[in-house]
Amino acid sequence: MVPLSWYLILAAALFSIGLFGVLSRKNAIAILLGIELMMNAVNINLVAFWRYANPTLMAGQVFTIIVFAVAAAEVAVGLALVISIYRRHNTVVAEDLNLMKW
Amino acid sequence: MNHEFVTTLIWLVPLPPLLAFFLIVLFTNRSKALSHTIAVGAALLSWLGSMIIFIAAVGEEYLGEHPFLSSINWLPTGDTFLQIGVQIDPLSAAVLFFVAWTILAIFVYSVGYHNFGQPKGDHDQPGLPPHGATVTDAHGHKHTVLSVEPMYSRFFAFIGLFAFGMYTLVVSDNLLTLFVGWEIMGLCSYLLIGFWYGKPSARNAAVKAFMTTRVGDVFMLLGLAFLYSATGTLNYREIFYNQVTLDALAKATTPFLGMSAAGLIGLLLFIGTVGKSAQWPLHAWLPDAMEGPTPVSAMIHAATMVSAGVYMVIRIFPLFTADWGGYELTTTMAIIGFIGAFTAFFAATIAVAQNDIKRVLAYSTISQLGYMIAALGIGAYVAAAFHLITHAFFKALLFLGSGSVIHGMEHGVMHTGNRKVDPQDMMNMGGLRKKMPITFWTFLIGGFALSGFPLVTAGFWSKDEILADAFVHSHWAIFITLALAALMTAFYTMRQITLTFFGAPRTEEAEHAHETPWTMTLPLVVLSVFAVGYGWVGIPEHFPLIGGLIPNWFHEFVGGTLLKHPKPVDFNIVPLLTSLVVALGGLGLGWLVYKDFKAGQPDPLEKPLGFMYQVLKNKYYFDEFYGHFIIKPVVWLSEVFTSKWIDKTAIDGILHAFGFATDGLGHTFRIYLDAPVINGVIGDGSYRLTQWAGKQLRFIQTGRIQAYLATALAVALVLAAAYFFLA
Amino acid sequence: MDFISTHLLTTILFFPVVAALVIFFIPGDQVKTIRWTALIASLVPFGLSVWLWFSFDPNKPGFQFEEIYPWYEAIHSSFHLGVDGLSLTMVLLTTLLTPLALLASFNIKEKVKAFFMLFLFLETGMLGVFMALDLLIFFVFWEIGLVPMYFLINQWGSSNRNYASLKFMIYTMGGSLGLLLAIQMLGVLFQTYDLVTLYERWTTLEGTLMGMPVGTVKAVSFWAFVVAFAIKVPVWPFHTWLPDAHTEAPTAGSMILAGVLLKLGAYGFLRLVLPLYPAESQYFAGWLAFLAVMAIIFGALGSFGQTDFKRLVAYSSVNHMGFVLLGIAAAAKASGTLDATIALNGAVLQMFNHGLSSAGMFFLVGVIYERTHTRNLDEFGGLFPLVPVYGGILIFTSMASLGLPGLNGFVSEFLVVRGSWAILPGFTAAAMIGLLMTGAYILKGVRKVLHGPMNERWAHGEHKLTEINAREIIVMAPLMVLMLVLGIWPAWLLDVINKAMTLLF
Repeated sequence: MVPLSWYLILAAALFSIGLFGVLSRKNAIAILLGIELMMNAVNINLVAFWRYANPTLMAGQVFTIIVFAVAAAEVAVGLALVISIYRRHNTVVAEDLNLMKW
Repeated sequence: MNHEFVTTLIWLVPLPPLLAFFLIVLFTNRSKALSHTIAVGAALLSWLGSMIIFIAAVGEEYLGEHPFLSSINWLPTGDTFLQIGVQIDPLSAAVLFFVAWTILAIFVYSVGYHNFGQPKGDHDQPGLPPHGATVTDAHGHKHTVLSVEPMYSRFFAFIGLFAFGMYTLVVSDNLLTLFVGWEIMGLCSYLLIGFWYGKPSARNAAVKAFMTTRVGDVFMLLGLAFLYSATGTLNYREIFYNQVTLDALAKATTPFLGMSAAGLIGLLLFIGTVGKSAQWPLHAWLPDAMEGPTPVSAMIHAATMVSAGVYMVIRIFPLFTADWGGYELTTTMAIIGFIGAFTAFFAATIAVAQNDIKRVLAYSTISQLGYMIAALGIGAYVAAAFHLITHAFFKALLFLGSGSVIHGMEHGVMHTGNRKVDPQDMMNMGGLRKKMPITFWTFLIGGFALSGFPLVTAGFWSKDEILADAFVHSHWAIFITLALAALMTAFYTMRQITLTFFGAPRTEEAEHAHETPWTMTLPLVVLSVFAVGYGWVGIPEHFPLIGGLIPNWFHEFVGGTLLKHPKPVDFNIVPLLTSLVVALGGLGLGWLVYKDFKAGQPDPLEKPLGFMYQVLKNKYYFDEFYGHFIIKPVVWLSEVFTSKWIDKTAIDGILHAFGFATDGLGHTFRIYLDAPVINGVIGDGSYRLTQWAGKQLRFIQTGRIQAYLATALAVALVLAAAYFFLA
Repeated sequence: MDFISTHLLTTILFFPVVAALVIFFIPGDQVKTIRWTALIASLVPFGLSVWLWFSFDPNKPGFQFEEIYPWYEAIHSSFHLGVDGLSLTMVLLTTLLTPLALLASFNIKEKVKAFFMLFLFLETGMLGVFMALDLLIFFVFWEIGLVPMYFLINQWGSSNRNYASLKFMIYTMGGSLGLLLAIQMLGVLFQTYDLVTLYERWTTLEGTLMGMPVGTVKAVSFWAFVVAFAIKVPVWPFHTWLPDAHTEAPTAGSMILAGVLLKLGAYGFLRLVLPLYPAESQYFAGWLAFLAVMAIIFGALGSFGQTDFKRLVAYSSVNHMGFVLLGIAAAAKASGTLDATIALNGAVLQMFNHGLSSAGMFFLVGVIYERTHTRNLDEFGGLFPLVPVYGGILIFTSMASLGLPGLNGFVSEFLVVRGSWAILPGFTAAAMIGLLMTGAYILKGVRKVLHGPMNERWAHGEHKLTEINAREIIVMAPLMVLMLVLGIWPAWLLDVINKAMTLLF
C-alpha cells in the first residue's frame, strides 16, 4: 500500500503551486484558479487521512463533499464578480482594483 | 314605658339634626323654605324624642341606680374594646330637657331673625350681613326693608350640625363621645361666629374662639388619656359610679404638686371647661364671639355649648371630689372654686362698662358660668346643676330678646337710611318698651331672672342655693365674691333694661323700631315661661313660708345621679338676706343711675369710676396682653425662629454646606486630577497614541490581496519556524 | 381566575408595570387614550386589593398570600412576597390613592405619556416595599420608587423643581446607602435575606462577621435602618427635603409623596426596626420620642409660619407624621403592653388617615393653584362666595387634617396620645403644644383663602375663579367619604390593624 506521506507530499506540492499562483498572478481569474488548487490539496489530505486514520467513520468523505460544494459556489460567485468588475472597469488585473485603498 | 323603646330612642335623638345638615348641604341648599323646613322639622323630632325620654326618665323610680343604658364596641384596643354608648341618668335627663327646649326655640327664632319671606337684598352677597332691599309699595313710594340672609340655608345646616353635637354630648355615656360632641360644637361655633366671614372682625373672632377653646381642649385630651390609661375605661358609670375606681384614683399619687391622680385628671379636664365655658384666663373669646348672628350667640354662647363645659365638670364631680373629706377643699377644688368665683366677679365688672347690648350679655354669661364653676368648686353639686339649667333658659331668653331688639333697631335703620347708627349700641336705644312690647316684657322677665329677683324668678332660687351652700360651709371668700358679683349682675342688668327700654327714644332709629315677627316672639314667650317656672321645682324644703309646698323635686332627682346622694343644705337666714339685698339693691341702683339718661351724655359711671372706667371698658386690656405676650411671640417663633432660623438657616445650611463641600471637592478633582491627568494623559493621551500609531501603520494596508496573503504566509512561516526551533 | 387568586400579590404588584408597557405603545398624541388607559389600569390593582382585603384572615398569625420564587440563589435571596394586617392596610392605601392621583393629573398637558408611565412605575415601587418579605427585594423596591418620583418632580414640577428634586433624590439616596450596607451585613451573617427566617433566627444566631460579633453587627445595622427610615418619615431634623419636594412636585406627585411615600419610612420602623431590635429600640425610645415631639412641635410651628399654601400643607405632614413616630416610640419603650398596642394602633391608623387627608389637602391646593397660578396665601382672601363647593370641601378636609372628632384624624391621634401617655407622659404632654398649633395653621389656611374681604382680582375678568369641576369632585369624594366613615366607624380598619399589632408585638 502506498504510505500516507506520499499523499501528503502530493497535497503539499499542490497547495504550494496553488499558493504560488495566488501570490504571483495578476489576473483575478488566475488567482481564483490558484485558490481552487489549494482547496483540492486540502481535499486530498482529508480523503487520505480518512482512509488511513479511521476508515469506519464517514467524516472525511463528508467534509470533502462539503468542500466541493463550497468550491463550486465560490467559483460561481467569484467568476460572477470578476465579470461584473470587468464590465465596469474593463480590466481583471487585481492590482488595478484599489478603490478601497487609503 | 318600655325600656327597650326608650334606649333605642336615645340613640336616635341626635340623628335628625345631623341628617338635616347633610340633606341641606347636599341637596336642598338652593331652596330656603325647604331647608328651614327640614331643619326645624329635625329639631322638632329631636325635641319630641327628648321629651318622651325625659318623661320616661322622670317616671323611673331609681333612675340614678339604674339609668337607661346601651352601648356598643367602638374601637378595638388589644384584646378589649373601647365601648361607646348612650345613657340617660337624672342629670342628663334634666340637661336634655333644657337643651331640647332651647334648641327648638332657637331654630324657630332663626327663621324670623334671618328675615325669611323678605325680598332679596340689592347688594347682598354671601359672607356679609344683609344690607336691605328696596321695595316699591302700592303708592309708588320706595322703602328700604330688611332683606333675607343670602346664606340662609347654610345657616340652618350649621345649626343642625351643632344641635347634633349638643345632643350627642348630652346622651353619651362616656367622656370620649362627650368630647366628640364637644369638638363638633367647637367647629360649629367657629363656622357660625365666622358666618359673616367677609367681615374681618367676624373672621378673626372665629379663629380666636376656636384657638382659645382648643387650648383647653388639648389639656382635656390629656386628661382623657390619663383617665383612660388609669382606669381602662371612659364610661361614666364605670368611673363615677364605682367607689372602688374612685378610691383607687384618689389614692394614686402623681408627681405634680403632690396631687392625687383623681385630682390631677379632674384638673386637666377642668381646663377643657375653662376654655369651653370661657372662664378666666381663657375668657377672651366669648365677647368677640358676638360677631356671629344672634341666634348663634343665644344657642352656642349662652344656652348650650358653654353650658356643656359646666355639664362636664358636673359629670366629673365624683372624680375631683374623690379625695375630698367633705370640709377642707382639695387643691383641685380650690382651683376650680377660685377660678369660678374670680371669673364671676371679674366678668361682671367688665359687663358694667359695655355699651353693646350683646357684649353685656356675653360678659354676663361668663360671670354666671363662673358662678356654677364656683359652686362645683365648693362641692355644691345640685346647686350648680340647677343654676346651669335656669341660666340656660333665661340667658337664651335674654340673647334672643337682644336679637329681637337689634332686629327692631335695624328696622329703624332701614327706615331712616342712616347706616352709621349701630343697632347694637344701647346708647342709641331707649323707649323701646312701647315699640316692642312682647320683647320688652320677656326681656324684663329674663333680666329679673338673671338678677335673681326674689321668689318669682328661677334665677333667684338657683343663685340663692349656691350662696347658701357657700355660706353654710363657711367658704367666706367665695361667698363674698359671689355676693358682690350678684350685686353687680343686678346693676348691669337694670342698666341694660333701662337704657334699652325705658326713657325716651334717643335716636330716630329707636323711634322707628318695630316689633319682630311671631317666629321671633313666640320663642321668647316660651322661654320666659321657663325662666320663671323652672325655679319652682327646686325650692328648698325649709324655706320660710313656701318651702315644702312644692316638693324639692330637682334636688331629689338630680342628686340621685351621684353614688352618695348629696344632702340639702340647712336653711340659714344670712344668705337669703344677702341675696335679697344684692338683687334688689343692684336693680334699684341701676334704675336710679340710668333712669334719666339722655342722648349724647357720657355714661354716668364714667366720673365716679375714673380711670377704672377705661380699664373696664377695655376689658382689663386682656386682648392686648395676649396679643403682645402670646400671639406675637408665637408668630415670631414660627415665622422667624422655626422657618427662617432653624429650617432655612441651620438645617438647610448644614445640608447646603455638605452640597457646597462636595461641589468644591468635585471641582478640585476636576481641575487638578481629572482634567490634566485622567483626561490629559490617560484619556486624550491614549487617543493620540492610537491616532499616531494608526497613521504610521496604515501604509501596511495596501489594498492588494496578494500583499496580504504574502504577509500572512510570511507570518505563518515565522511562527512555524519559531514553533519548530523553540518548542 | 385561578391564576389570579393564587398569584394575587404578584398580579397587584406588576399590573401597573404591564399597563405602563401597554401605554408605551400608544402614540404620544393620543392623550385621551393614555389617560383613560392609565386610570382604568390603576383601578385593577385597587379592585384586586379590595378582594385581597376581604379574603384576608386577620386572626391568622404570620403572613398570608405568600409567594416565593427563586431570584438570586447564589446569595440566598428569593422573590418573597406576603402581607399581614400592617402591610395590607398600606397596600390598600396605595392602590386607593394611585387612581385618584391619576385622575387628578388629567390636566397634565406636557409629556403626558411619560407622566402616566412613570406614575404607574411608581405604584409598583411603593407596593413592592409593602409586600416584600425579603430584605434585598425590599431594598430594590425602596429605590425603584425614588426614580419615577425624581422625574415627576424634575419634569412636571414648578419653578424651583431642580433644586427640590435633587435635594429629594440625594437626601433619600444618602439615607438608603446605610440601609443597603446593613441589609448586606445581615444577609452575609444570616446566609439569607428572607424576613420570615430572619424573624425566627434573629435571637438565636451566634457568629462573627469580619471579626465583629453579632451584637455589633446588629447595633450598626440598627442605626443604618433608623437613619434611612428617619429621613423618609421624615423625622425632625431630617425633614427639610420634604417642604421643598412637596411644594415643587406636581399635584398628583405631592398627593402620592405625602400620601404613600412618607409611609414607607414609618412602615420600615414597624416592619424592621421594632421587631428586629426590641432592645435597642427600647434603649433609644426616649430619643425617638424626643425627635417625634420636636417634629410635632416644629412641624406645626413651621407650618404656621408659611405664606405659601402648599408649603403650609407640606409642613403639616411633618407634624402629623410626628404622631406616628410618637406612637412607635411609645411602643418601643414598653413593647407588648396594652398601652403599646393602643399606641401602635393609633400610629398605623394615623398613617392611613394622614394618607387620606394630606392627599386631599394637596389636591385642593393644586385645584386652586391651577386656577390662580399662585400659592401665596396673601394673594387669596374671601374666596368662599366665589367657590362655595370648593370652600366646603376645603373646610371639611382641613378639619379632618386638624383632627376634629367625628372625622378620621381624631381617632388615630387620640389612640396615640392615649397609648403614649401611659408610657411617655412628659413627651405626650409636650406634643400637645403641637396639637394646639395644628389648629392654628389649619385655621390660618382657611382664614387666608376663604374668609375675609374678597380679593376682587379673582372675582371678575380673565382671572375669574371658577368652581371646582366634576372631575375634581370625583377625586375628592372617595377621600371625603373615607374620612367620614373612619371617623365614625373606624373599627373595620382598626380591627385588622389591632390584630396585626397584637400578633406582631
